[in-house]
Amino acid sequence: MSPVPPEPERFRAQVAALQLALDGGDAAAFRHAFDALSEQMDSGLLPELKRLTATAQSALARFSAEARLDSLAGHEVPDARKRLTHVVKLTDEAAHRTMDLVDGCVPLVDEAARGSALLLETWDSYGDRDLAIASLWPERAAMFLERTRSDSEALRANLSELLMAQGYQDITGQIIRSVISLVDELERVLGKLVAIADGHEVTSVVRALPSQQDWQRGLGPQVAGLESADAVAGQDDIDALLSQMAAGK
Amino acid sequence: MSTVKFLVVDDFSTMRRIVKNLLQELGYNDITEADDGNTALPLLQAGSFDVLITDWNMPGMPGIDLLKAVRADAKLAKLPVLMLTAEAKREQIVEAVQAGASGYVIKPFTAVTLKEKLDKMLAARAAA
Repeated sequence: MSPVPPEPERFRAQVAALQLALDGGDAAAFRHAFDALSEQMDSGLLPELKRLTATAQSALARFSAEARLDSLAGHEVPDARKRLTHVVKLTDEAAHRTMDLVDGCVPLVDEAARGSALLLETWDSYGDRDLAIASLWPERAAMFLERTRSDSEALRANLSELLMAQGYQDITGQIIRSVISLVDELERVLGKLVAIADGHEVTSVVRALPSQQDWQRGLGPQVAGLESADAVAGQDDIDALLSQMAAGK
Repeated sequence: MSTVKFLVVDDFSTMRRIVKNLLQELGYNDITEADDGNTALPLLQAGSFDVLITDWNMPGMPGIDLLKAVRADAKLAKLPVLMLTAEAKREQIVEAVQAGASGYVIKPFTAVTLKEKLDKMLAARAAA
């Protein structure tokens, strides 16, 4: 005869008490024995149920984390590389634009310094002011002033352009921020996977975050190679869209 | 000289400085700055601004929500609002116009574009 399995054996005492109460018609004793039996059963089931739930939860968490990691590794990290490459390009262009404009200013300032030094020198060389005024000096001075005036306008234009060239900081800043939030998410997903691998209980599944924060909603600055099909090409497109909308009103 | 009162809203201080400098070049010297909608809205409600220039993408309250709040405020409903943003999605431009934006300038922009849109907005405001 095979040995009695331990599991049913655990209930022998409760079943006997139940039978006794049933035979004796003792309702209170029956209820008591029944409760004891059902408690005994629960105590065996509960840990098993817990274990199953934890396994399912961690499988779900792992699946969710792995799926997110797949998408991060497959799309968002390569996109981030393109974004950062675009940042390098924008900063490079802005730096060169700035230096070109400075280069454009230098000869203008040099010419103003040279011309005024020459005029002053000639002016000082005349002992007699009347003689200076009767000479070619006033004509040269007028030419110098005329030139300085137009050079100053060119300088002013260069300064405005220098200012505008700094707009790259806003654009690159927005792009870098989006990459930072991607790195944050990558860190979270990897941390979650490490926790699962280490056998820590995972209580919540990884949130499938959109790659941008809620407040960004939009696309942010357009990046070469990642242009959205739904994006306008530039100000002219916007102006056309706006007048189209105004006409449609 | 014109005494048009501007509020410039952008989370990047570099961009606020650029816009402020451009406005000064155009002869506008009354310029206040704010770094998002949450700081801008009380300023708008308290002050008598003539033009609002706002970015879209800002932490706290984004420009589109600021625009909607402005249009929902009876006192500010007619305020000219220029969106100055890198957001190039058609859907967003449409949303901004439907929410009552008076103009939309895409970053990076030129001084000429900004002047043109401002002139247009101020002319419309004068005509109204």
